Amino acid sequence: MATDFWASSHYKRWIVDRATLKQARADDLVYVSEPECLEFLAIYFANIISKLGKKLGFRQRVIATATVFFRRFYLKNSYCETDPYLVLSACCYVAAKAEESPVHIKNVVAESRALFSQEQYNVKHFPSDNSKLAEMEFYLVDDLECDLIVFHPYRTLLALCNKDFGNSNSSSDSPAEEAEAGELGTGIGADDGPRYWGTGQGQLELSEGGLQTAWFIINDTYRSELCLIYPPHLIAVTAIYLTLVLHTPTQNSIAHLLPYSPAFNSDSSNSGEPSQTTPHPRRSSRTSDSSSKHANQQDPIDFLANLNVSLSAIATIAQEIISMYSLWNRYREDVTAEEMRNMNANANMEPEKSSPERFCIRRHYL
Amino acid sequence: MRIYRAKRDASHVYVKSKYNILGFISSGTYGRVYKAEDASGNLHAIKKFKPDKEGDVVTYTGISQSAIREIALNREISHENIVSLKEVILEDKSIYMVFDYAEHDFLQLIHHHSQTLRCTISTAVLKSLTYQLLNGLVYLHSAHILHRDLKPANILITSNGQVKIGDLGLARLSAQPLQPLFAGDKVVVTIWYRAPELLLGAKHYNNSIDCWAVACVLAELASLRPIFKGEEAKLDSKKNVPFQRDQLLKIFEVLGSPTEKDWPSVTHLPEYPSLKRLDPYPNRLYDWCQSRLRSQAGYDLLRMLFIYDPDRRLSAREALVHPWFLEDPLPKANAFASVASNQIPPHRRITQDDAPSMSMTIPLQPGQSGNAANAPGPPFPQSQQVLSGSSQQAQAQAKSGHSHHTGTSGSLGDAGGPTVYGPQGHGQVHGTTKLRKKPRLG
Repeated sequence: MATDFWASSHYKRWIVDRATLKQARADDLVYVSEPECLEFLAIYFANIISKLGKKLGFRQRVIATATVFFRRFYLKNSYCETDPYLVLSACCYVAAKAEESPVHIKNVVAESRALFSQEQYNVKHFPSDNSKLAEMEFYLVDDLECDLIVFHPYRTLLALCNKDFGNSNSSSDSPAEEAEAGELGTGIGADDGPRYWGTGQGQLELSEGGLQTAWFIINDTYRSELCLIYPPHLIAVTAIYLTLVLHTPTQNSIAHLLPYSPAFNSDSSNSGEPSQTTPHPRRSSRTSDSSSKHANQQDPIDFLANLNVSLSAIATIAQEIISMYSLWNRYREDVTAEEMRNMNANANMEPEKSSPERFCIRRHYL
Repeated sequence: MRIYRAKRDASHVYVKSKYNILGFISSGTYGRVYKAEDASGNLHAIKKFKPDKEGDVVTYTGISQSAIREIALNREISHENIVSLKEVILEDKSIYMVFDYAEHDFLQLIHHHSQTLRCTISTAVLKSLTYQLLNGLVYLHSAHILHRDLKPANILITSNGQVKIGDLGLARLSAQPLQPLFAGDKVVVTIWYRAPELLLGAKHYNNSIDCWAVACVLAELASLRPIFKGEEAKLDSKKNVPFQRDQLLKIFEVLGSPTEKDWPSVTHLPEYPSLKRLDPYPNRLYDWCQSRLRSQAGYDLLRMLFIYDPDRRLSAREALVHPWFLEDPLPKANAFASVASNQIPPHRRITQDDAPSMSMTIPLQPGQSGNAANAPGPPFPQSQQVLSGSSQQAQAQAKSGHSHHTGTSGSLGDAGGPTVYGPQGHGQVHGTTKLRKKPRLG
């Protein structure tokens, strides 16, 4: 069913394990000095998709879908045999249609050419001919096995944390959408959501800033390959958890509920900028003490504990998100030409220089 | 990209190598549908989307929104009363969707009764078909899919009497739209089956538009002609949607004019001022049903599905448990269970496709394909030559009746060869397919 995650193509065919991811990059690995470079590539291309999407006026969900398409495509293909710029442009074009907000192909071509020809990308070979992008679309849809409906954590986030988001335009990025809980269980539709949440206390009230932070954390996860490994609702719950830990106002508002709050408070100076935050190691013991909760306020620990999800999975994803942030901190796009030359000189140059795609990857990343 | 392209083209499984095309079924705005059989003899309907522009040279122009929808939604769903998509083959700048074959459809059944048998569809069949239709619709709606083009021609029936809702080309997810529903498609649902809120210009609508269409289909099955056969007012030159006066009058003549009392929100609809200028009509649905449905409960179901206010109209789920389905005759899984075999509509007619798009071209070697794509004149020049060159052979085959294996049996497992197979001798006997003078969504 198109709204039931467990019956979806996303769950059945596109949740993969680490070994598969590693296998998918085997051919590319030959061309890089460090495997980490390929993870930087994942960030790099996600950034471009996001930029191109914004130029095309995409909503966040369309950008997310395009990014997932891109990641799925490179599960089956290698960067070195393809033109990632053409691929990501096609991903944006298909995602817009799949999310029912189509853009004309000539706009995609024009915006792609304009963006990629900027100095930082310096991609001059992007075709001006619409049919080249349309041809790539054909190959792309085929490689995606025609599975074009993608689930995203945004929906779960809104269903769990935004009681009346239908009326409030709390953030520019979070569209005023209809509540939907279908992602969390078989056959759960919007109508029977409350039944699933049990007591009717199923929603966590986050402040606007807190919701925003969780939303941004979810945006950030698309820089990694987490969207291929974990079901979106688990990523959403993890984003909520990280928000509770990292977002200062949210943290302050629940501090009196947490037994070890001073330890947490000391470490939360960087709210709202999760990418800059170095998280403090967590204490797992705090989950045991929920009896001290304030009578009138909802206890977020209770909330998380009562969700019908594996908390150890949440903890794992939290670790993955944190290591993604630390990787991202080491990543930089503004490498000068001089530095790049040095790096190129250091890398072993293979003779396949004739292939423009390979050259272009090396030029940027090695 | 060269490496990628070569790799992909080498591993491609061609339509022709996997399916034997038996003949042409029908065409529409989207493209053409063919009957085909696979290596193990299972029948399929292959829907070929035509490339967007039909110029001299076929180029990639981007996959249409309609094709993307139909593919994307079909990949997610699976239900006994929905046509099932077997696979999608992207090849030669065209999209081929391979569905399970269904021998009949509602429209064909209606024609068969009105023209050949000259009698009404029995209540047992009528009820089974309606029940299964609703059953499929409940599934679609619970998956938050609006069909938006339910009509007799889009509702198929297999040879063992199972209803299959088809053509999700206008369908879309209604949950969490990023854009309002009207933004993508200004006009939805074929005019005779279009709900009054749509006719009055509603920008927001929901599942209930499909329920209205089901009621129209049910009425059409019962009376063998469309219940509201209005004249569609066409879009003007600026593509503004006109007021559908005639269609609304056809509805009011049976159901009476809507009042603000039974449809409070009607006053907010864009065309409400135009509506108020129409003459008032009384409700005579009961009389209409007397001679056609012959059941109090049947009338009641129709009445509830024809409620003007979309919020009060019966949902598919509610309709499925309506008392009409609990009284004799009960609905059956095989709608034709009670029908004598000579009363069942004949098999779908198939013809030789006069357009050469699906005739016996074979995949070209990679080296040749560039040549073909750049050649001037109609697409697939090779196949055209073959058509004219072997027309005698084709006629001979047509005269001798069926010989549908002559065409492609040799191509199974022999996809790459440069041989050009002859056209199939099949179906010339019937001439062209019956022309359907049904309105279509443009």
